[in-house]
Amino acid sequence: MASRRRMLLKVIILGDSGVGKTSLMNQYVNRKFSNQYKATIGADFLTKEVQFEDRLFTLQIWDTAGQERFQSLGVAFYRGADCCVLVYDVNVMKSFDNLNNWREEFLIQAAPSDPENFPFVVLGNKVDVDGGNSRVVSEKKAKAWCASKGNIPYFETSAKEGFNVDAAFECIAKNALKNEPEEEMGAKPAAMDFPYLSS
Amino acid sequence: MQEAELHDLSDDADYAASQQQGSASMIRCDSGKRSSSSEPEGAEIVFLKDNVTIHPTQFASERISGRLKLIKQGSSLFLTWIPYKGQTANARLSEKDKNLYTIRAVPFADVRSIRRHTPAIGWQYIIVLMSSGIASPPLYFYNGGVREFLATVKQHVFLVRSGEDSNVFLVNDFQNPLQRTLSSLELPRAVPAASVPSSPVSVRDSTSHENEDRTDMGVSDKSASSQYHGRQRQKVNDPARDLSIQVLEKFSLVTKFARETTSQLFREAHSHSNGFGAFERRNSNQSSLDYSHKASDDEEEVPNRSPVAPDPLEKVPYRKQNHDDEAATNVGTFELIDLKEFDKLSLVWGKPRQPPLGLEEWATFLDSEGRVVDPKALRKRIFYGGVEHKLRREVWAILLGYHAYESTYAEREYLRSIKKAEYETIKNQWQSISPEQAKRFTKFRERKGLIEKDVVRTDRSLPFYDGDDNPNVNLLRDILLTYSFYNFDLGYCQGMSDLLSPIVFVMEDDESESFWCFVALMERLGPNFNRDQNGMHTQLFALSKLVELLDTPLHKYFSQNDCLNYFFCFRWILIQFKREFEYEKTMRLWEVLWTHYLSEHLHLYVCVAILKRYRSKIMGEQMDFDTLLKFINELSGQIDLDAVLRDAEALCICAGENGAACIPPGTPPSLPVDNGLFYSQQDDEVL
Ligand SMILES: Nc1nc2c(ncn2[C@@H]2O[C@H](COP(=O)(O)OP(=O)(O)OP(=O)(O)O)[C@@H](O)[C@H]2O)c(=O)[nH]1
Ligand SMILES: [Mg+2]
Repeated sequence: MASRRRMLLKVIILGDSGVGKTSLMNQYVNRKFSNQYKATIGADFLTKEVQFEDRLFTLQIWDTAGQERFQSLGVAFYRGADCCVLVYDVNVMKSFDNLNNWREEFLIQAAPSDPENFPFVVLGNKVDVDGGNSRVVSEKKAKAWCASKGNIPYFETSAKEGFNVDAAFECIAKNALKNEPEEEMGAKPAAMDFPYLSS
Repeated sequence: MQEAELHDLSDDADYAASQQQGSASMIRCDSGKRSSSSEPEGAEIVFLKDNVTIHPTQFASERISGRLKLIKQGSSLFLTWIPYKGQTANARLSEKDKNLYTIRAVPFADVRSIRRHTPAIGWQYIIVLMSSGIASPPLYFYNGGVREFLATVKQHVFLVRSGEDSNVFLVNDFQNPLQRTLSSLELPRAVPAASVPSSPVSVRDSTSHENEDRTDMGVSDKSASSQYHGRQRQKVNDPARDLSIQVLEKFSLVTKFARETTSQLFREAHSHSNGFGAFERRNSNQSSLDYSHKASDDEEEVPNRSPVAPDPLEKVPYRKQNHDDEAATNVGTFELIDLKEFDKLSLVWGKPRQPPLGLEEWATFLDSEGRVVDPKALRKRIFYGGVEHKLRREVWAILLGYHAYESTYAEREYLRSIKKAEYETIKNQWQSISPEQAKRFTKFRERKGLIEKDVVRTDRSLPFYDGDDNPNVNLLRDILLTYSFYNFDLGYCQGMSDLLSPIVFVMEDDESESFWCFVALMERLGPNFNRDQNGMHTQLFALSKLVELLDTPLHKYFSQNDCLNYFFCFRWILIQFKREFEYEKTMRLWEVLWTHYLSEHLHLYVCVAILKRYRSKIMGEQMDFDTLLKFINELSGQIDLDAVLRDAEALCICAGENGAACIPPGTPPSLPVDNGLFYSQQDDEVL
């Protein structure tokens, strides 16, 4: 066991700008929330060691920019993902409506071998805001959408208060692991597309 | 000629001998005196040589002599060259000039190679080439001692003679697999030069060099180089070839750069008031290599037309005229740097940064009515030193193109008042949207929401923007929202708030002035935010081409590791390094970039300069795409701006026309070629 290479699980967090992707990642990995995070430009990732049944894994969590205009960068970052986390803000309807776009965009760009069964997890974030009074997307509505997309696991979270964040990421890690072939690390596509350099 | 070669041979024989003796006797043989003054604690001088001289110009009176030292501290070896105090023959050489050339403790870890020259007539000299691609001026050893110098270096760092050129000594090049091979090979002795396809030869079995070099040196200079070529042709697949190309490439850059700088210094010496014309007219007898030179009145464009071989390995007409066909070969390029040529060579480090432009000096750039008399001189001044903060408000508006250089105080005042009214009109467009109307104006609400989310995430750690209900944060919001109406097609995109923040800070919260300066900036950077991301892709593409030109091994590394998309530089380019430096440094960098002195695309050379600074770490640690991205993101706050600017300047000049050719026309921040069409495809996403 000891000689075995530690497995890398790659997770991508997607969702509209400002829904709290960076905040969620930092809450989970560093256990802190700051009002001073900057809007994400490009992409970044954090890693965290996780353990399941005596085996250690490295969870590599990718945080990308939420603005649609930057989506074309995705191809460089999505490849080889083991799980995709879709985040929306329960107080912003548009961010929920966009989940479908994010999901489809991901499937196109990451081109997983088995798109039907690729693991997603949905997080409804910022449930703390205004004691829940400014909420516009109900839990029922969210769960219905998740059910319609092949029973995507759903969590309601608050990155600010750390509510439900650990539970959500535990589920994310488990789903990522399920996606990994048992023996080796999943084969990552070898070459990246870059139109200017292909000629 | 023959004698000269013999001279060179004897040098080599001695060199070889010194290796066998372990060189102990060579050390400090020139001067036993140890200077104790300037050396840091625990440092030991392992080599000292007096009367090592540089020739900044072709005038003997302007030569600068100094003392060269090798200093050992811990396991590191440093090179210093300090000019003598107050003994210069020429009064024109101020202390400042001397400082310009001083080499202060260059660590050998940063040295790539040392090129030795033992010319027929005149003094021996060396050129030190740094890993960054930048080289020292030729250091002439008036008292001899090049071989002892090399012998001493070899005692302390890993030094290996290039298999391609016995006058090039590679330092510490472990990253290069070829070097590992070289060091482990310990090739057998006596390699017959003419018949064997140039096997790389380690310096360690230096005895074998006697034979080899004697063969080489028994012939004249020209045929020696043609012989190199002869070998070259036989071994297309030899990995050593790449190395040689690389070295050749670097040195052709060196000479080219040296030439530029010489002519620049030359002219500056003759026109004190305005040194800006540095690249204006090239000294006509400057060099027979100036074959691609075109006279030009357009100073700004000149760096793009500077004389550099389009490809260092291309055939060189000059050669053809003077030598037989064989000699007119690719590899011979290197040998073109003959004595006459080198006499004119000089400084090849980037210039030291100057203090920022201050109030008094600023006044000297203006006529009595407030016009900038010589815009190019001003831009040059700012390029080398930036602007004092209190002047930025006035100067930025001009640099950005909001106010014209030739405008008077009165005209600027007038424009300000007109533009203020215009700003209010545009701002009114969204301010007059009632809550009722907004309910049925989704795009407006979304755009506003996005801006509001971003301004509260912009530079909040600065006192200027911190705390709840900070009016400056509202200012950011209002200006961005107004801009998204002013340029509705482009709208708002993340990153814009980063670009606006320093402008508002500098404009001391003058809303209208901030807005119009931002508009001027976005004239150039708008394409960074295009929906199709074409502006970004063009720049990343140009960057990859520049790295290919200026650091071929790094380019190869990136290509082998799926890093050619350069997405790890995305943030650098999108917001002009705003997240990479502390606030004050960002403002300094921006005003330097906005001068467009040397190049409109200096920011790309800044990217190359930073990558080059970390190249050995990147390649040494075998970073893959993910690791590299993380590494680059974490460089934020770690980058030495002044050093990087100097490197970028040097690289930009080095690259010359070849560099400019890497950058397609219209690449941001060049002004769009066709104004009308730029934002036309964005209607589908208006945010
Ligand atoms: N009240 C509350 N605020 C939150 C929560 N999560 C994030 N925020 C705030 O929402 C804003 C956006 O959060 P980020 O984490 O930066 O959002 P993001 O999804 O990473 O946004 P982009 O980087 O622009 O794509 C910030 O001002 C956060 O402080 C939460 O759970 N509750
Ligand atoms: Mg973010």
